Amino acid sequence: MMTTRRTLGIGLAALALTPGVAGAHEPRRGPNGGQKVDIGQNHGELVAQGGTLRLFLFDGADRPLPAAGASAQAVVLAGGRQATVALTPAGANVLAGSGDFTAARGMRAVVTLTLPNQRPVQARFTPMDQD
Amino acid sequence: MTSRSLRALTYVGLLLGALLLFRQALAHEGHSHGDEPPPPAAAAPRAEAHSDLFELVAVLGTDARLWIYLDRHASNEPIDGATLAMSVDGQEVAVERAGEAVYVASPPAFATPGPRNLLFTITAGEEMDLLPATLEVPAVAAGVAAPHGIAEDAAALLRNPLVWGFAGVSLLLGLLLGRLASPRRLPALVEEEPAPAPAAAKHGPTPLPKRAAALVPALLLVGLLLPTAASAQPMDAPRRQPDGSVFVPKPTQRLLGVRTVMAERAEAPVAVQIVGQVIADPNASGRVQSPQAGRIEPPEGGFPTLGSRVERGQVLAWIIPVLAAQERSGVQASLAELDAQIAIAQARVQRLSGLAGSVSAREISEARAELDGLRQRRAAVESGLNGREAVRASASGVLSVVNAVAGQIVDAREPLFEVVDPARLWIEAVAFDAALVAEIAGASAVTTGGQPLALSFIGRGLALRQQAVPLQFRIEQVPPGLSVGTPVTVTVQTPRRAGGIVLPSEAVVRSPEGSQIVFEMPGAERFVPRPVRVQPLDGRTVLVTAGLDRGARVVTQAAGLIAQVR
Repeated sequence: MMTTRRTLGIGLAALALTPGVAGAHEPRRGPNGGQKVDIGQNHGELVAQGGTLRLFLFDGADRPLPAAGASAQAVVLAGGRQATVALTPAGANVLAGSGDFTAARGMRAVVTLTLPNQRPVQARFTPMDQD
Repeated sequence: MTSRSLRALTYVGLLLGALLLFRQALAHEGHSHGDEPPPPAAAAPRAEAHSDLFELVAVLGTDARLWIYLDRHASNEPIDGATLAMSVDGQEVAVERAGEAVYVASPPAFATPGPRNLLFTITAGEEMDLLPATLEVPAVAAGVAAPHGIAEDAAALLRNPLVWGFAGVSLLLGLLLGRLASPRRLPALVEEEPAPAPAAAKHGPTPLPKRAAALVPALLLVGLLLPTAASAQPMDAPRRQPDGSVFVPKPTQRLLGVRTVMAERAEAPVAVQIVGQVIADPNASGRVQSPQAGRIEPPEGGFPTLGSRVERGQVLAWIIPVLAAQERSGVQASLAELDAQIAIAQARVQRLSGLAGSVSAREISEARAELDGLRQRRAAVESGLNGREAVRASASGVLSVVNAVAGQIVDAREPLFEVVDPARLWIEAVAFDAALVAEIAGASAVTTGGQPLALSFIGRGLALRQQAVPLQFRIEQVPPGLSVGTPVTVTVQTPRRAGGIVLPSEAVVRSPEGSQIVFEMPGAERFVPRPVRVQPLDGRTVLVTAGLDRGARVVTQAAGLIAQVR
């Protein structure tokens, strides 16, 4: 028991020493004017306009990630109402879809992204709250 | 495989893991995903999520139910009465309120191990939010056998209600057997007094089956209650993590009343702390001293009592002059002499009045004036012998000192009473560094009992008192019950300003090494001690000038309790 504890300690110390761990997980502005956050091991940028959502996919190094074969579902909370939007591939690295909502300040969206042969991953976006 | 080779393998694995993370970090341009330190291995599986409004922790209970704790993100205040909707991998699951700010859901999807995507829709009053979280359902909770350590096996066993039931039944059986096998009490050698009640006529020990019958339902009840108690909220123990952070599960946080605040940079005046004590305002208080030597007599209705209100000019006591025997005889002699002179003057006035007409009116009025003068002199001398003098209150206020006792002989100038106006008190403090208090922008004080006082500066003396500068302050709003002489700590604000993070003074605690620390709360259940440099601001707040970044969530309440977690 004691040994496992010590090994755990060493492991955690190694984790802490790994450079760059204290990195930027903060939502940031993406190249298409939307909000970019981490989604699974990749990055996703959500652009909301009117009743349309576009999700741009990037890999961990911010290179465009092909959207072919990927699918996504977004739950949108805007104006006190909840809507579900299905996103389908609509370009090289873009998934798009529209639903019954109007993008406005204070809007939140949770996107569940399923990449081919991967389990679904979730990310939360507030695309209209960027300064 | 021996334990040593096993350990070596673990080391290699960890090293590889660290290397992998390193590579990942490089691939991710300075950041990696999922690098939050995990909760202790012994803790129940849990997921957490937060937005700028809410913070949510979902803990998988031993009964495969999901316990959800909802709090405000910035203040860590529990949110009760919120409406929660949850979906697990897209399937809607009902969420009920289980207690104060505790919600519970029974998702059917937790039967198999693996990660689950949870999505919470939270409605609390006007505020709505969506929070995603990922919960890793372990093999143990999913009921699938997997190789574990002994402790984990034991924990898994304890989570099973069947085990509790079996233990309860075994306990019952054991108790019953013990009862049956225990030696019976021998009948008493001496006949006992027959009890008056007819029911107790059959004396001696109660028959065993009857007792056991009474015991069994009680034990059964306990046995039945135990599994339910075990399947209530998962209570993980708070503990210090190997990296120095402290894991405090949400239920414990609720018990401790942990509250937080988001650190904001602010400009605040530099403050200096000095010691002082409460004094009475000399314009609104008074000392009552005996004006002359004499005996004290109470006024009508007795002496005013300690703490009673008196008005300026009110008679507090009477002083009756006490004369020595020689003085007294001297006064009496002059009285007798005056009496004789009065008698002569009276006779003269009578005689002259009888001869009115032949004697001039001037002579008669002169004789009368002489008689009046003599009578007045007699009255003055007599009052010196038997008269009394009033002792009056010199100010309106509350009697704080009463030294008068009826019949007491006092000297002149002896202090008898002290009157203090409770609404007008000052503070006198001493500063040993005159340069620090050269300019005073504001001041506040805290009594030793922790009562805050707002002060305004009155003035400073230019004569040092025991090498210290005396300073006087007026208390703006005197709280009831503040006594003269109470020691206080005065915080003097200087016009110089410093930038930092303003925190309540309870937020700063001492670490076991003795340095000053605050606890940052980077995760929902994780607390990281941060050594800080602190300056006092006023009695209640401090300024953190180094060691803390803006935007950090800092514990303001119960920091001392978190520091005690081992």
